[in-house]
Amino acid sequence: MSTLLLHHDVFTEHEPPQGHPERADRMRAVERILSHPHFEDLRREEAPMGQRAQALLVHPEDYVHAIEQSSPTEGEIALDPDTWMNASTLEAAYRAVGAGTRAVDAVMNMEVNNAFCAVRPPGHHAETARAMGFCVFGSISIAAHYAREAYDLDRVAVVDFDVHHGNGTQDMFWANEDLFFGSTHQMPLFPGTGAVSETGEGNIFNAPLSAGDGGEVFREAMLSRIFPALDAFQPDLILISAGFDAHERDPLGSLKLKEEDFAWVTLRLMDLAAKHCDGRIVSMLEGGYDLAGLSSSVGVHVKALMHGTGEASQPVDEDEY
Amino acid sequence: MSDKTPAIADMTFEAALAELEAIVEKLEAGKVSLEDSIAIYERGEKLKSHCDKQLKAAEARIEKITLKSDGSAGGTEPLDVE
Repeated sequence: MSTLLLHHDVFTEHEPPQGHPERADRMRAVERILSHPHFEDLRREEAPMGQRAQALLVHPEDYVHAIEQSSPTEGEIALDPDTWMNASTLEAAYRAVGAGTRAVDAVMNMEVNNAFCAVRPPGHHAETARAMGFCVFGSISIAAHYAREAYDLDRVAVVDFDVHHGNGTQDMFWANEDLFFGSTHQMPLFPGTGAVSETGEGNIFNAPLSAGDGGEVFREAMLSRIFPALDAFQPDLILISAGFDAHERDPLGSLKLKEEDFAWVTLRLMDLAAKHCDGRIVSMLEGGYDLAGLSSSVGVHVKALMHGTGEASQPVDEDEY
Repeated sequence: MSDKTPAIADMTFEAALAELEAIVEKLEAGKVSLEDSIAIYERGEKLKSHCDKQLKAAEARIEKITLKSDGSAGGTEPLDVE
């Protein structure tokens, strides 16, 4: 098996004001864990710049133009109370798009089995014409639309286990029965969407969890609601919105997931990918705001992608933090 | 939460319930920022707990009154809080 890691220095240069939870230290923690010898077999590439035409797959031209015009030459500007741009944010957002589309190319061309995109800003809250929740472009939705357009795929799925509902991805998938969106998330919580009753064209599957729920409830939600629907959908490609803020240590959520739960869901998604689409998976980083919880969770997630075994559930260097 | 936020222990049932309802409405309507939403949710949990405690205390008082008016020890009738 082989796994591609897309990364870039600009993901540590996008920096909201001091004290903001979606901070560059997150990416430094991810880069640090993935520099461990356990990951020396990762194939590493710098994320290329995404193309404007790719952003336009899901965003209207007016919105993309407004984001480009908003980019400051110095200091920071707020797009909304959560979402900030500095001089590097526009490039980081475009390279997050480029990471997703390059990862799609790599798995579709069988250069690698799967890929992990260590990117920020995250993307699953960005709606078609609205930046929100730390997100500027809907990177994973762009990757899904790109995969359908560039490789003529019939069905593409996104599974999102971030603690916050991926309202942006749902918004962009809503009216398209060839795109699947399955999400576990804490509710009620930001952004307020994600009820079971939100079903789109029968292609949206929300499994809201309650504060305090841990791995057992999370796995049952996946087993009873998300996986059967994904199996029936028969995806040609599975994308993962890999947010790790459902970790028990995370300050922005109240779920109690552990590293072994992230390893478990990754391995089960790999099983479904093996069954339906030759193992093709592209995973993109979303949230995760406790540096120790984030880095150890990314570690087990990427180990699972690399090796496809239960051994992945052992965190790497957990004593280091 | 800001320093001006009232201490929950000092709040009346009506005030706590009103704030709790406002929090639920804000969360469901997506009117809270991502960064603030967990703090607001946690305050909502504390308000809910405070309301529950006050209801249980009221229920216990009603049970006691029922016992006194019956003049016997044969069971109680808890308040229907619905």
